[in-house]
Amino acid sequence: MSAYVVVAGDAGITEVINAAVKVGGPVTAIVVGSADLAQQVAAPGVDRVVWLGDPGDKPIEAYAPAVGALVVAAPAPVLSGRKPAERVLLGGAAAALQAPVVSSPMDVRSDNGQTVVEHGVFGGIALRTTAYDGPVAIVLDGGAAVNGGGSAAVEQAAASATTSMTVTSLQPNTATAADLGSASLVVGVGRGLKAQADLPIVEALATAMGAELGCSRPVAEGLEWLPRDRYVGISGQQIAPEVYVMVGISGALQHMGGCRGAQLIVSINTDKDAPVVSQSDYVLTGDLYSLVPAITAALS
Amino acid sequence: MKIVVAYAWAPDPQEASVGADGQVDFSRAKPVVSEYDAVAIEVGRQLATATSSALVGISVGGPATGTPVATKAALSRGLDEVMVASDAALADAGTTRTAQGLAAMVQRLGDVSVVLTGDSSVDSGSRMMPPVLAGLLGWPVLSDVQKVSVTADGVTVERLLREGVQQVSVTGPVVLALASDATQPKAPGMKDVLAAGKKPVTKLEVADLGPAVAEGTVVSTAKLTGPARKGIVINTADPAAAAAELVGALRAAGVIGSTGGQA
Ligand SMILES: Cc1cc2nc3c(=O)[nH]c(=O)nc-3n(C[C@H](O)[C@H](O)[C@H](O)COP(=O)(O)OP(=O)(O)OC[C@H]3O[C@@H](n4cnc5c(N)ncnc54)[C@H](O)[C@@H]3O)c2cc1C
Repeated sequence: MSAYVVVAGDAGITEVINAAVKVGGPVTAIVVGSADLAQQVAAPGVDRVVWLGDPGDKPIEAYAPAVGALVVAAPAPVLSGRKPAERVLLGGAAAALQAPVVSSPMDVRSDNGQTVVEHGVFGGIALRTTAYDGPVAIVLDGGAAVNGGGSAAVEQAAASATTSMTVTSLQPNTATAADLGSASLVVGVGRGLKAQADLPIVEALATAMGAELGCSRPVAEGLEWLPRDRYVGISGQQIAPEVYVMVGISGALQHMGGCRGAQLIVSINTDKDAPVVSQSDYVLTGDLYSLVPAITAALS
Repeated sequence: MKIVVAYAWAPDPQEASVGADGQVDFSRAKPVVSEYDAVAIEVGRQLATATSSALVGISVGGPATGTPVATKAALSRGLDEVMVASDAALADAGTTRTAQGLAAMVQRLGDVSVVLTGDSSVDSGSRMMPPVLAGLLGWPVLSDVQKVSVTADGVTVERLLREGVQQVSVTGPVVLALASDATQPKAPGMKDVLAAGKKPVTKLEVADLGPAVAEGTVVSTAKLTGPARKGIVINTADPAAAAAELVGALRAAGVIGSTGGQA
């Protein structure tokens, strides 16, 4: 067995490498990004680093065909994180290999030449174990950044990007990235909040608890009350805090898929039948506008 | 020129029931045009109108995808015509098999400048279909697209990424996955629903989609067993008392410190 790890401009691939090692070595990392990134990727568990180059004024996505060409020359399972460019490079590999795609693995192993993946289905409502005879593309949460320390040397490959795409401008996001994934306390806010002007009510609770502030997807996308790296769910952040306080969040399965690892869930919701209620440790049925300030006061 | 929107006719898994053996039963869940695909259709409508292109919906799925209810629901959102492949053999098709069917449709239609998709489908949600579709077509692909405009030889695209706001110019055909909030789709009106019944529907057979790619073999299914939740209901008649009870319980559990803040 052998496996590929596809790296797209970001060293947050600890979990991808771990899964690739379980699929079976040797593990080849295919890197699009800076020369520094290629060095960082040479971490324990990686046997070979193939660097396709620095994208310059091309989007990383322009390297998808190059990744496809590389893996098809020696087919094997391909793994990547789930950030936008990672998914595109992985898709290029899956297309070239005509390989099936599987997402959100809970466990990966190699068994009698097959790659066996235990994974969630339909947004994580049930589990399935699937065995693949040939190559498979596996997309998962990348995890923490790696930083070299392995034994692989970086080989540069002669690859070229698709010429039809050019980045003409980038207005950098200067906000520091939120780190909800490793937070031990998180307060999340949903559409139960009536106006952006009311956010301080929930922020005060987060401050009093010493918690990170998170939210549901519509609060970040659509309403844009909070940055996009603060929403929890299958498409957003995966959190596993000791306590997750959910304020005015209904508990849609796509949201709950991001917080199953929480030790304790507290829900504050006017609707006693909201889906979140049956998935909470502490249920406070009522108006967040009176309950949240009361909890903040009780903490201080 | 044609602008194509790939859409899924799928039930919301929130309404499915899961048996003790992990088998998922969708029989009581009503399929709809997948939530974010409505965004793609709306953006497609605006682009098609601006460029006098035809707007064609394409969909691959189980038998329900080809029913008049399904095709009318998609058409009423502003598509000019749809091409569907619906068959029991495609009901549980994976991303790559579905993308292969969609690629075959794009090739059959010909003269396609852009394929639009939603951010993710309600049933799988892995956001892998657009990249695989583009790979099969040999086209470039970009996700998280907020804005698209058509240029003389392609499109320019604005994306909202963690790194910032990125503008990309693309020449030639491209697959674009739209951000969930690229536009606010309107609910179809009575006139749209009536007009939808008269629009063309082309049906393809499974054989038209090319030989099926290998899918994995399902070894077993299981119910998801998350941590058991306590389900303790705190009386909220008096908010201050409820707050004190909650804070007391969290302190007793040792998850928050005795003076507030983290333990
Ligand atoms: C493919 C796909 C992927 C998705 N991915 C994600 C994801 O990753 N993360 C995510 O969060 N969502 C995701 N969604 C969206 C998800 O389905 C829900 O629409 C969303 O989570 C709902 O957000 P909400 O709970 O804030 O809003 P709502 O569902 O509108 O819930 C608001 C809640 O607030 C309560 N409320 C109202 N007023 C008050 C008050 N005064 N006090 C207390 N409670 C009050 C209501 O009873 C209600 O339960 C996805 C959807 C799709 C289709």
